[in-house]
Amino acid sequence: MSVPDAILYWEDFAPGEVMEIGRHTFTEEEIIAFATQFDPQPFHTDPAAARGTFYGGLIASGWHTCAIGMRLMVQSYIGRAASAGSPGVDNIRWLGPVRPGDTITYRRVILEARPSGSRPGIGLVRSRSEALNQHGETVMTMDGWGLFRRRPEA
Amino acid sequence: MDQATFDFYWEDFPVGQVRAMGRHRFTEEEIVAFARQYDRQRFHVDARSARETPFGGLIASGWHTCAVAMRGMCDAYLTRSACLGSPGLDSLRWLKPVRPGEEIEFRARVLESRPSSSRPEVGLTKFLWDAVNGSGEQVLAMEGWQLFTRRRRAAGATKP
Repeated sequence: MSVPDAILYWEDFAPGEVMEIGRHTFTEEEIIAFATQFDPQPFHTDPAAARGTFYGGLIASGWHTCAIGMRLMVQSYIGRAASAGSPGVDNIRWLGPVRPGDTITYRRVILEARPSGSRPGIGLVRSRSEALNQHGETVMTMDGWGLFRRRPEA
Repeated sequence: MDQATFDFYWEDFPVGQVRAMGRHRFTEEEIVAFARQYDRQRFHVDARSARETPFGGLIASGWHTCAVAMRGMCDAYLTRSACLGSPGLDSLRWLKPVRPGEEIEFRARVLESRPSSSRPEVGLTKFLWDAVNGSGEQVLAMEGWQLFTRRRRAAGATKP
């Protein structure tokens, strides 16, 4: 197995640790492209029709906001971690719309870290992710579970 | 939008109702394409090095499975419904890996339904959206709420 340097193991995730994951500016073009493929509701795909909806204009699919958060997490730390996937996420809340041109900052705080009860070499990390727009308004929160391998005994 | 009519209003999602949301075969090519863009972990983007991971081979990003479920939901009912959006999901579980070539079946079940206490024209519906593979194993389960407009009643008469 090729091992990148500075690999992160379960032991490296400390409860309380806050981390800025990264930021992303959502363009109209990519909002429409994502939604055309996966979430073709008019307020995600059609700027003119979106003006007549409850949202008053084009907004990103909530799944798009999630997917960009995942991309930034992989870039910032999961890509160099001994990741063993995720069993899921709790309490996804889409609290405010993400509109074309909005710059969204993602951050994460570790809530809990514990060894797996059933898989000896694995630990679980529960973290809250938050996404905020350029006005400081929270647009999304979620509590996600990650599985990581434990550091091998020296 | 006031003039728009829809196939489905809040009343059309009674508790216990099960609705098919289509099937989708996940190809290796699309698994890798999605993950290169959004979830570049090696068990999602590199079939060879995926074999050395706990998954023993390439698997789809969980967000990819969710996105395809969303598309199935749109096609099955959402874009023809008076949906006002969703506040979120209470839980989302990736229960089994989705591997290249697998055909996944998506479905929606209505768990709860109630009128909004603050907005008389709106109702809330709680769904379980899940997905099963060809062996009948559940690979994805999501629980969450959607808001729908209620059917309007003409003055003095009840529309069907």
